[in-house]
Amino acid sequence: MRALCGARVLSLGVLHMAYVLNRLLSVILTLFLITLVTFAVTNILPGDVAMMIMGTQSNPEALAGLRQSLGLNDPLLVQYGHWVGGMVTGDWGTSLIFKKPIIELLGQKALASAIIVIMSMTIALALAVPLGVWAAVHRDKWQDTVSSSSALMGVSLPDFFWGILMILVFARWLGWFPSSGFVDPSVDFWATLRHAFLPSFALGLGLMAHLTRMTRSTMTGILSQEFIRVARAKGLAERTVIWRYALANAIGPVITIAGLQIGYLFGSIIVMESLFGYTGMGWLTYQALLNRDLPLIQYTVVFIAAVVMLTNLAVDLLYVVIDPRIRLG
Amino acid sequence: MKRFKTTKGLIGIVLLLVILLVAILGPMVIPPDAATAMDMRARRAPPSLTHFFGTDQLGRDMFYRVILGTRTSLEIAVSAVVMSIVLGLPLGLISGYLGGLIDNVLMRLVDTLLAFPALLLALTISAVLGPNIQNTIIAIGVAFTPYLARIIRGEALRVAQMPYVEAARSSGTTDIMIMWRHVLPNIMPAVIVQSTISLAFAILAEAGLSFLGLGTQPPAASWGLMIQASRDQLDIAPWTALVPGMAVALTVLGLNMFGDVLRDILDPRAK
Repeated sequence: MRALCGARVLSLGVLHMAYVLNRLLSVILTLFLITLVTFAVTNILPGDVAMMIMGTQSNPEALAGLRQSLGLNDPLLVQYGHWVGGMVTGDWGTSLIFKKPIIELLGQKALASAIIVIMSMTIALALAVPLGVWAAVHRDKWQDTVSSSSALMGVSLPDFFWGILMILVFARWLGWFPSSGFVDPSVDFWATLRHAFLPSFALGLGLMAHLTRMTRSTMTGILSQEFIRVARAKGLAERTVIWRYALANAIGPVITIAGLQIGYLFGSIIVMESLFGYTGMGWLTYQALLNRDLPLIQYTVVFIAAVVMLTNLAVDLLYVVIDPRIRLG
Repeated sequence: MKRFKTTKGLIGIVLLLVILLVAILGPMVIPPDAATAMDMRARRAPPSLTHFFGTDQLGRDMFYRVILGTRTSLEIAVSAVVMSIVLGLPLGLISGYLGGLIDNVLMRLVDTLLAFPALLLALTISAVLGPNIQNTIIAIGVAFTPYLARIIRGEALRVAQMPYVEAARSSGTTDIMIMWRHVLPNIMPAVIVQSTISLAFAILAEAGLSFLGLGTQPPAASWGLMIQASRDQLDIAPWTALVPGMAVALTVLGLNMFGDVLRDILDPRAK
């Protein structure tokens, strides 16, 4: 019997290894494709990088020289090779507008955005899960209607519109939060949180709709199952049945949706950080796009896509960990 | 809940009809240059009987501008979604029906594109091509294509395994004919539902792009552009943000409500 158990654990281990290895290979392939797509999209650019660096008034010979030294006369494939080569060796080049190494810029801004991403997802879940549970418990009653309606409202307003409302109400009129800026957490952590709150809250409202719906529908399914009836028959408190028994089984799909929304969130932070003058990745991307800072555009785009892809992978793996019923394949 | 759903569908349809009427008839009915005429003595005038929704920073009537913006925003959103269908439908159909290596390669590409947030992809394409109405359509259309292709592929995969497809195949019908005659009509409900939802997202995306200055350009009137202009005058003229904001909200709300009900009718499996 014990040997049998051992064999099972071993085979499971091998299965895990194969799964992880398979995922890892696919991650590397996807990263490669991400750089390819980014390069393709940014190279339909009709502008001229050399002219962007030197300005339109520069003399043609100097421009030609710069083009030569930047390798802009090389075939596209060679240019791509150089670019990816630089990426792998850590030579990411310099931003045209900030005149700083790109690798340094990304490092600084990524932290600011990480704060906003985590904060908005926390706010979204903190609002959506109770609202969804509430709707599922009172299915087809007025509570359900209130929950669905507010979820619908959340997705129907553009998130930057929520942002504008927040600035108007909480910053201008009530003065509870600052309306713009970012404070480094090493300087004053409390101020960091205060600056991140309004943009995060606005983003959270946009995110919560899907999460509420998902919580409601999975909870509805779970609540009609046999083991819930058994738990109730045992005389467990309703609170325990719902939050400990039902929600524990319903949270998986909700987390999956939350993971899938990370991509959407990284799109939204571009608008929200720009609106709030919050100097994170989204703001940096916007500055790069607005000023056609080609090297910076390429790296911010690749960086965001890579982060989104890796987050999705992490959610997949987390899902396997929290739900033992998941088949690996 | 059932009643709620019917009411919701009705509200959605009424909202959409009103918006459609405004978009089509509005620009014809309003006095010419009513939306562009500047009145420097009445800049940022609050809503009143002469200006229902107030005026903007140049003294232009917000009521007329929102009507004009309805057409712009809708035109861009509809064109972009049509574009994503034109690109995504063959992609998803071929991938899902043929399967195998083609499916693997195409879906790998689609998955890669899905790693780029749609708004980021749209913003980048728009910035690269140079922002104007036509490029905004291209940007949103391309950015939405992978989502549509993914869903259509799943549907095509399901339909491809149906007995009637098997029967057609065994009687010697060509693949192209099967895709056209049998697969396409059977995936249409899902495509229609998805298009409605995509339209809502396209309206939001256009507003977002224009808000960031990488979409519609002035002097055109678009809802996103109007909200952008309102940023510096929130305190003194909040209506300049609220009016176009409500226009976006009502349109997207209408599309979402209609889409939900449409899904219940056309696609009963998706819950």
